[in-house]
Amino acid sequence: MRIFAGDTKARVRKIIVYAVYIILLSSIQVSFPDAFSFAGQTADLVFVFVVLSGYFNGFWDGAVVGLVCGIIRDVFSPPAVIGLDGDVRVTAFIGAFTLFAAGITGASFFTSRMHRNIPFSVVAVIFATFCYKTAGYLIIYGWSTLAGTGSGIYSPFTAFVYSFLPQLLLNTITAVPLILLLRFLGPVSFKGKADKDEIIEQEGEGKWLGI
Amino acid sequence: MKKLLKSKWFIALIVLLVLAACAILSLLPGSPVKKLLQPVQLVTSPAQSLVKKTGDKLSDFWAAITDGIAIREENKALKEQIADLRYHLTQNEEAALRYEELKDALHIKDTFSNYVIYGAAILSRESDEWFSTIRLNAGAADGIVLEEGNSYPVLDVEMNLVGRVIESSDTESRVLPLLHEGFAVAGKVNEVNGATFMIVGDAELKRQGLCLVKGIDPDVNLEPGMEIVTSGDGGLFPEGVPIGVIESVDYSNPLDVKAALKPYSQIGKLEDVFIMIPYVETAEGTAETNAV
Repeated sequence: MRIFAGDTKARVRKIIVYAVYIILLSSIQVSFPDAFSFAGQTADLVFVFVVLSGYFNGFWDGAVVGLVCGIIRDVFSPPAVIGLDGDVRVTAFIGAFTLFAAGITGASFFTSRMHRNIPFSVVAVIFATFCYKTAGYLIIYGWSTLAGTGSGIYSPFTAFVYSFLPQLLLNTITAVPLILLLRFLGPVSFKGKADKDEIIEQEGEGKWLGI
Repeated sequence: MKKLLKSKWFIALIVLLVLAACAILSLLPGSPVKKLLQPVQLVTSPAQSLVKKTGDKLSDFWAAITDGIAIREENKALKEQIADLRYHLTQNEEAALRYEELKDALHIKDTFSNYVIYGAAILSRESDEWFSTIRLNAGAADGIVLEEGNSYPVLDVEMNLVGRVIESSDTESRVLPLLHEGFAVAGKVNEVNGATFMIVGDAELKRQGLCLVKGIDPDVNLEPGMEIVTSGDGGLFPEGVPIGVIESVDYSNPLDVKAALKPYSQIGKLEDVFIMIPYVETAEGTAETNAV
């Protein structure tokens, strides 16, 4: 896989840096969520990190980092869902599904057209957050209807004003330090590569939205 | 076909389908799918614990620097409070002696006398509004053994309801918080023969830190400020555990009277909780917890 591409030194560095960031961000996310909460929503450090990893470092980075972060999320704070029998159960792999999808979305979002430039990475985060929230509400609506429970459903107005907007704002703000981290202290060195955009050339990125 | 198998989008689609299938399978009772995550838990839990401890120490250090004046004032207030409490303690000692005598005579049971209480620390909290279970550092090895369909109440240090344990592994357990949409508990007004109703989590009220009270008899006069405790109906929660106070009541539809309840426990500020496990008297007269 391309996440392991490159010489040995760069490969080892990449894996170590990714591992440190993944553990740190995943742990901070569930240990101190109140520190970055606003209007009932919490900035999703891990989600933003995964999207940006995909955006800056390519499809396989986004996919693998998303999958690993998602599995860790499933261990740390899995969602509890009301089953069709009415019992509430802790689920598994919903985090892995979500963050894997977020990683490949970030890697495919106009990356060729925008040459993975820094300002457009914020737009990628906003787009991915929008997709996440929309898909989340649609799934919750569908599942709640199927399970015959309405307690999990927001009205569209509440969902937009009290969930979408604060989450978009928080994730956008969170993106700024994470962009700096990934671009200047990240697993892949961009030194002297900005103009050539070698990563895209090497990996042949983006057919979907990669216009 | 070979080209298709090498396509990253095809691989991504297969991975997504497998993950979706695993997520659905994990909802089945007794599903073994969750066991796939146990090795990850073994590796990541110590790391997360280390990060949390470091963060807590940094936070404490910062608080020690910034809170000096506030602590001094609080200390002064606490000294006055201690003096006041000592006075009340002296007054209550005699009453306590009399209560013990009457308790024996009338066979009155303590509220939680049929429960073994385990202490546990909160390891991790919710990541966002959907990934919202809480992880505790007590599991089967500590006596928290859950059978399918069973659950245990979780209280804070002031004995207010926090939620219930819905899953446990060897070293950890997961709590469904009071505000979660799937949470439900039978409650009553904290007075003799107080009216009973259901308290459930609700997505709309959750963002305000409130729960929904439903099933209220229209003839019952429920008012803001009234204290609500568990009614004991259903058998999962013991009677008399404080839940919170009524915030507002909506009598606009007499057939569907609803109220909003403000829970006492502030989950975001909790560090330690207690798990209540009922025990039963065995034929030999010894007490055993249901869990072990």
